[in-house]
Amino acid sequence: MEYSTQQQQPIVPGTRPKNWLVESILVTIFCCLPFGVVGIVFASQVNSKYDTGDYEGASKASKEAAKWTKIGFFIGLAVIVCYALFILVLGGTAFWQARQNY
Amino acid sequence: MILTRQYILAISIVAIAGSLLYFFFDPSLSELFPKCIFYSLTKLDCPGCGSQRAIHALLHGNILQAADFNLMAVLFLPLLLYSAVVAVANAFFHQQWHQGIFYSTIFVKTVLFVVLIFWLLRNIPIAPLHWLSAEH
Repeated sequence: MEYSTQQQQPIVPGTRPKNWLVESILVTIFCCLPFGVVGIVFASQVNSKYDTGDYEGASKASKEAAKWTKIGFFIGLAVIVCYALFILVLGGTAFWQARQNY
Repeated sequence: MILTRQYILAISIVAIAGSLLYFFFDPSLSELFPKCIFYSLTKLDCPGCGSQRAIHALLHGNILQAADFNLMAVLFLPLLLYSAVVAVANAFFHQQWHQGIFYSTIFVKTVLFVVLIFWLLRNIPIAPLHWLSAEH
């Protein structure tokens, strides 16, 4: 078969940008913050933009999804760490007072 | 999703430690566990509210009770397990499985829709929908 004109090939990208879907679902379920939902919104944009050929937009959405998922994760982690410290201090104080009362 | 072996081992250790904690302590009785920030601030359920109690119930085999605390978390569980299996197979057993489902546009949009609808409906205090709330 012979092609009369050299067809303009679209830029074939190597891989789809990571959409952070699983991570943002985990943040949504476990970090109890709306940031995970923002991550899922961008995750859906990664795929739809990639499918329409907007590779740059997909890559940007991927970075946004990563950003919001990480924000949610680290705030959730900070809350857990602060809460754990709070419980330790509270428990330590109670323990100390119990000792004093003997 | 490409996860290195070190990451998977670290996540596994955290998951096992967490499972032991959530098995032996009931988040609805114990003060050990932090409350949801979103709930504390707004008195509304977030999509993740009830997940700690749901995990406790699941670890004790009470799937229905877990679904009562957070239906969405229970529904997403097989998905998360699938993702974990693929990650382990790729990192430890030289597989090159691709998580195609997470990259299907319709699937991701469905997840987003489910999360938003679940968030909305569980905050409507009417009889059938009230079942979706975490019941703080």
